[in-house]
Amino acid sequence: MMQPSASKPVWSGHSCPLPLLLFLILIFSTLSTPALTQDKPVVLKGGKLLTITHGVVENGTVVMQAGKITAAGAASAVSIPSDAQVIDVTGMTIYPGLIDSETNLGLTEISSEAMTNDLVERSDEIMPHMHTAEAFHAESVLIPVARMNGITNAVVAPEGLDTLPGQDSFIQLAGASATEMLLIRDNAMPLNFTGDERRNKGGFEKQKFPATRMGLAAQLRQAFIDAQDYKAKWTDYERKKADAAQNKDKKPEPLAPKRDLKLEALLPYLEGKKTIVLAAESPSDLQTAVNLANEFKLKFVLNHIAHSQPVLDYVASLKVPVIVGPIYEAPKEDERYDAVYSLPAQLYKRGVKIVFASYSAHNVRNLPDQAGFATAFGLPYDEALKAITINAAEIWGVADQLGSLDVGKTANIVVANGDPLDVKTDVRQVFIQGRAIPMTDRQTQLRDEYSK
Amino acid sequence: MRSISRKTFVLHCVWLTVTLASVAAFAQSAPAAHHDVVIKNATVMTVTHGNIKNGSIHIKDGKIAAVGESVTASADATVIDAGGKYLTPGIVDSHSHIALDDDVNEATSPVTPQMMMKDAFNYQDKAIYRALAGGVTTSLLLHGSANMIGGQAVVIKHKYRATRDEMLFPNAPRSIKFASGENPKRVYGSRDQLPSTRMGNFAVQREALVQAQDYMREWDNYNEKIRRNKDDKDVTPPKHDLKLEALADVLRGKLMVQIHIYRADEMLTEIAMAKEFGYKIRAFHHALEAYKVADQLAANNIAIATFSDWWGYKREAWDAIPWNAVMAMRKGVRVAIKSDSGDYDRRLNQEAAKTMRYGGATEEEALKMITLNAAWIVGVDDRVGSIDVGKDADLVIWNGYPLSSYGVPEKVLIDGEVYFDRSQPGLGTTHYKEGE
Repeated sequence: MMQPSASKPVWSGHSCPLPLLLFLILIFSTLSTPALTQDKPVVLKGGKLLTITHGVVENGTVVMQAGKITAAGAASAVSIPSDAQVIDVTGMTIYPGLIDSETNLGLTEISSEAMTNDLVERSDEIMPHMHTAEAFHAESVLIPVARMNGITNAVVAPEGLDTLPGQDSFIQLAGASATEMLLIRDNAMPLNFTGDERRNKGGFEKQKFPATRMGLAAQLRQAFIDAQDYKAKWTDYERKKADAAQNKDKKPEPLAPKRDLKLEALLPYLEGKKTIVLAAESPSDLQTAVNLANEFKLKFVLNHIAHSQPVLDYVASLKVPVIVGPIYEAPKEDERYDAVYSLPAQLYKRGVKIVFASYSAHNVRNLPDQAGFATAFGLPYDEALKAITINAAEIWGVADQLGSLDVGKTANIVVANGDPLDVKTDVRQVFIQGRAIPMTDRQTQLRDEYSK
Repeated sequence: MRSISRKTFVLHCVWLTVTLASVAAFAQSAPAAHHDVVIKNATVMTVTHGNIKNGSIHIKDGKIAAVGESVTASADATVIDAGGKYLTPGIVDSHSHIALDDDVNEATSPVTPQMMMKDAFNYQDKAIYRALAGGVTTSLLLHGSANMIGGQAVVIKHKYRATRDEMLFPNAPRSIKFASGENPKRVYGSRDQLPSTRMGNFAVQREALVQAQDYMREWDNYNEKIRRNKDDKDVTPPKHDLKLEALADVLRGKLMVQIHIYRADEMLTEIAMAKEFGYKIRAFHHALEAYKVADQLAANNIAIATFSDWWGYKREAWDAIPWNAVMAMRKGVRVAIKSDSGDYDRRLNQEAAKTMRYGGATEEEALKMITLNAAWIVGVDDRVGSIDVGKDADLVIWNGYPLSSYGVPEKVLIDGEVYFDRSQPGLGTTHYKEGE
């Protein structure tokens, strides 16, 4: 019925156990720089480890040193460094920090207050030269709220209003400054082809280009063709320049083409060096968008596809990962109530690698709930957990650092009182780069203030 | 479902129409379930008197006739074997705007108490079905919050595919929606009209209530004269004014006042206003800062219908904390978790479960927030919201523990009849026919 109670709960209620508290005080009082550095080894001993990559270890121990995991396995098999701070986590569940594959963290504070929002540049559909990294607000009140529930890494994406709204960032949810938190700038770029949501539709008197799916597709195609031409111009210039350098007397130095930031931003994507996050909802939009992406040989992952149930075999045939959902997306009028809830399971059955995203800023903390809910509609539990850890790390190219409890990876680790995917589970401590993150945020401060 | 040909589609449409007509005809002649139903082998979460392992429920004429470890029923009773699964009362959503076709705000005047949400109720809205599939059996459909005094709510039962009138909760008490804070001041302020500030908000509200007092006095005066001399030809009756009549009913205590409100200071002002005019506030809705003034809410017997963890979507939701529900409850406030959304009403059980994590509500306390407490806010707690003899047989059989990420409804009964059955193909509604 309720969660089976822990045999020896170390941390109950809101308060930390005394040893941990003293440990935290020690850490923060001795910190010479605000940077995330781990002073001495920390050992989590006796917990249930959800390693993600090599199963569950019931009585396990994790060692964190210099910000990395240096051991993770059965308690009996792990040796504890003599100078380590050892924390007894008997009864707790230990898992890698969770990764949210699309958020607006750092781009908004109060949704209705325009001046606190930097979500999307509304002036044009084609804005690939917008960099979320340059708007990212490291001191956002929302970030501690999210990480309190074990989300340690996330993709920051602009709002999906434009066809090409700008480039994503891959962040860590702790650090002294934006520099430390932005692990990868411009790691990917959204391409939104969710035709029903286009903003220029409406009466003829208000229409402006692009107002239809045709218009959106044509504009997008033109952008990539322009980028191809731009690239050719520069290639030609480089060739002439090299030529001139070799024949100094005969050939004049060529004039460099004018830089175009928009087109320049598209080049890494056109060259297949970076990932496009291709968002569509319905089968027809999906196929139009995929055809466009293939036309320019873009490397892509799919996003949303919440209403593409009739073409899931087609989706599987693309052999690309899918950021699915949110599964709370309302079904279409004619769809069964669970048409979207069951989408992750349907994709998994077809061999598609899936990840989850909160598509949110304020509700990032609820990311694991969605993964849990998907299991109620057929997604195997282990796959649900992978979809917010290792699968995400793989898609975003950081699987060598994140997504599992494996030696050598960054010590982003969550200590919770139970199943990470259940809404009732309370996260007791989050470690980022081996450092215990203070388990306080604006909301706990208000709670404590009014509990006096 | 998607690949049916045009011809069969047309046939199905005709057939469906006929079927629906016959269902409707049947339903009109038989408004309640006559037959006995027994649900056996369930873990019954009664809400009021604990859980019963291997429990059974006897349903007669749509009401709960018996609940216990074993029940007796007639031999021809329909038996549903719950297979040891959890059985809860149907969920009550004490704040919803579904099935109103977006006709939620008559934002042409800040005071529109004569608006009847019943007049906008679209009983065919699929949102009713989707909430039903999440275990919701009763909802309070409220006016929006553009106006300081919106309109009068309608209470529905989620009998998806029944007739419109069958879906109206019979003899539910009347509720009226008040609002406060950002929404009215934004809506009217953006037009350079009153109200554009919180001062304006409350002035508009007070002005309306003063008018209602005057209106009542006029009628009292008239009635008194007629009582003294019913043949007095010099006395003419005052005008009937629907708007003031509704507000007079607030002052007469005939309308339950449900107030959209965020900030603690505004709650105190609304409490003072209610005292000034002598009416009672049934519940503060949203009430995200209730934790700051919970003592005052408890002292005035004002419930809250709140979110589990929504926050930050506007300035007045900035101090929202997920411990609000439990902190208020521990101070003696009756707390409900509501959806205010066609999304969250599909999984209110999970929202309630979050109160077990944030503040440590017990299982029963959490469940109460989406059943009995919500029913109290709606004013139907004597009819629904717990598994007790005499109450409507609005019940949910869950495939797993409902206060978790994992439990989802398998069957939902309203007035003893199955309205949702997950094992059914198509929509999973019991009136499903091939080709739907």
